[in-house]
Amino acid sequence: MLPIRNPLKTSPRSKVVLLFALAVCTSVPASGQDLESGQQLFQTLCARCHGILGEGGEGPSLKRAQLTHAPDDETLTSIIVGGIPGTGMPGSRQLRGGDDLDVAAYVRSLGRLPEEPLPGDPAAGQLVYQSAGNCSSCHIVDGTGTGIGPELSDVGLRRNAAYLRQSVVNPEADQPRLVDRFRGSLNAFLTVRIVSERGTYEGMRVNEDAFTVQMRDVAGNFYSFDKADLISYEKALGHSFMPGYSTALNQQQINDVVSYLMTLRGEN
Amino acid sequence: MRRLVKTPSILCLTASLFFVSAGFADTSYQALLADESNGADWLSYSGGYKSERFSPLNQITPVNADQLKVIWAYQMQPTGLSGAGLQETTPLVADGIMYLTESPSSVTALDARTGRMIWHFVPDISNDVLNIGFPRINRGVALLNETVYVATLDARLFALDAATGAVRWETTVAENSVGFSLTLAPLALDGKIIVGVSGAEAGVRGFVDAYDASSGERLWRTFTVPAPGEPGSETWQGDDWQTGGGSTWLTGSFDPELNLLYWTTGNPAPDWNGDLRPGDNLFTCAVLALDPDSGEMKWYFQYTPHDTHDWDANQIPVLVDGEFRGEQRKMLALANRNAFYYLLDRATGEFLLGEEYSYQTWAEGIDDNGRPIVLPNTEPTREGNVVWPSLQGATNWFSPSYNPQTEQFFVSNRRMGAMYFKADAEYEPGTPFLGGGEQAFDGDDASGAIISLDVMSGDLQWEFELQTPPWSGVMATGGGLVFGSSNEGNFFALDAEDGSALWNFNTGAHIRTNPMGFSVDGQQRVAIIGGQTLFVFGLD
Repeated sequence: MLPIRNPLKTSPRSKVVLLFALAVCTSVPASGQDLESGQQLFQTLCARCHGILGEGGEGPSLKRAQLTHAPDDETLTSIIVGGIPGTGMPGSRQLRGGDDLDVAAYVRSLGRLPEEPLPGDPAAGQLVYQSAGNCSSCHIVDGTGTGIGPELSDVGLRRNAAYLRQSVVNPEADQPRLVDRFRGSLNAFLTVRIVSERGTYEGMRVNEDAFTVQMRDVAGNFYSFDKADLISYEKALGHSFMPGYSTALNQQQINDVVSYLMTLRGEN
Repeated sequence: MRRLVKTPSILCLTASLFFVSAGFADTSYQALLADESNGADWLSYSGGYKSERFSPLNQITPVNADQLKVIWAYQMQPTGLSGAGLQETTPLVADGIMYLTESPSSVTALDARTGRMIWHFVPDISNDVLNIGFPRINRGVALLNETVYVATLDARLFALDAATGAVRWETTVAENSVGFSLTLAPLALDGKIIVGVSGAEAGVRGFVDAYDASSGERLWRTFTVPAPGEPGSETWQGDDWQTGGGSTWLTGSFDPELNLLYWTTGNPAPDWNGDLRPGDNLFTCAVLALDPDSGEMKWYFQYTPHDTHDWDANQIPVLVDGEFRGEQRKMLALANRNAFYYLLDRATGEFLLGEEYSYQTWAEGIDDNGRPIVLPNTEPTREGNVVWPSLQGATNWFSPSYNPQTEQFFVSNRRMGAMYFKADAEYEPGTPFLGGGEQAFDGDDASGAIISLDVMSGDLQWEFELQTPPWSGVMATGGGLVFGSSNEGNFFALDAEDGSALWNFNTGAHIRTNPMGFSVDGQQRVAIIGGQTLFVFGLD
């Protein structure tokens, strides 16, 4: 039992002093928003996808003067709080009431930084994509190609050069998520191996719940299974159907294809 | 050709049936005392004062569960308030009438036989209403003496006429402008309505209130964070208590024999920066035993002293009677957000048991006094620190279920870790007061389960795996079933004996509420909400 303790005299403490010290250290920009606070919140809540410096990663780089989904400050603030439905961008409702404005101001400040230079020649990269890379055998760009892997028509908006390089060289290094704010999230394009009485199936998971799993094989065939009927079900976490191109392409070709991918912004 | 006008005889019959139904609906305190054993009705949030969320009905069994079908469905009514639309209500049923809330704070009465609407009440809530740290939701109503009680997002309490939805009285519980909200289902006692508040993420000072059920007059208020000189104040420094948190945002339990009200409390504020509030921060992350007549605190038990991971203790305290280590006890069982399962003596507050029920990395265990043995380097940091469970916890507000016949305790279990961050925080009324945050591990790095624990030992009996960490509760039944649901939209029945799946239905939308059960026309019914739709299932 923990009885209610008798009150003891409390010692004075220094929170007021601490807050004062923090206030002195905090810079206030001309806009009236607290950029330092915005940066701190950004690094806490946003950096995982957008990079610690806003350079992007699984999420797009924010070092752009024009953000596709946020043409104005009001929309940007709204997105920070409410997310973007149908994408991996969740909202941070806890930022309402002022912190959202600080984060928005910090994100806008990133747009004033120089954009990331392309590491190679996009035109040469397009040729690599179509020939040596044979990328269209699994990806669709502007309606052309085969839809086994993710569509790449606007991948330059959603990823930065470092992430795309990693995806080309070592696609198993990171598996993006299919995020649904309410339904939970799944690893995208997860490789699965399913054995049922009808046979053995390997492919990429399309969806899954506690009772069923849906997958598509490399030939594009779709399958739906009841888990209760399966003999075995294996998830190959960390595996990708996409081959790594570290030896199939030389450094210049990789730089070029990454540059080509960075120019794909869904404008066609 | 169909008749458009009913014949007089049909009108008489209809009026007669309605009169019988309305006239015999017993929502008295005596009826609430018998709620646990009354399978036909579901008169309070957790299905009785013990909060077992157990339906004694036994028509649906492991043998016939696969024949369950939708009997009727009801589509929620949008209010136009932005951000509202998540449904976390538990419907109540009294003599064939169902009462439920719809987000953010509307109330609807339905014919429990058909789902046809009887009345619908929409409080006037401004789009500027503050809800800092939680969505615009509501978890249900309380019933007492033909009156329906609903607590609102803008921190008011309404009493509505059960027959018509007309307002009998309303009162303001607290100021929404500084961050107070009410999202819980009130608890009705003998002539009193008990409510708690949300708002620790805005730095409010939490409290539990009792209101006169007839007049709306406030009878008492018990703060969860002590003022200087009060018991527990030695665990705070300076003025921290004024913004100390300790929200009371989930419905409690009640023991009429001991005359004790059990209410749980949430995190201290700011959430993740403990440097700004040194000490154990009583009475946050605790369960309080209160005298329902005065609000006086008889005992407390703090699950997570000086919490820095937002592990509110706002989980359902389930009252359990039985033999613990050879001694007959009145106990309080709680599966905590911090990943430990606890048993307390509910007469005295004595700590009896604390067992890990879900993977965690923050404590070596629980000591003999019930205090966690905290591992080093598990605090949030500026750079980020990985700890299990995530801030949403190993479970959360959604209800567990207890089958007193088999002494099984069922829990919806979240299995997710997070990178916890610490940041600065400065209190400003009506704004977030957080001091950090988390980046949760999502995708296939997270999962969930429905688990069955031996209530006396906390030992795992079985588990049923879920694809993602659930946000919905469970209900066991006298027919040997456990009903549960998933984020993916599955509503399912498990065999309580071994956890095997017997039936499931894809509602087509996320489920983030609790199942409940009732009967109408002698037929067992089970209800759940998927997305914006209430589904009622039965065999016939």
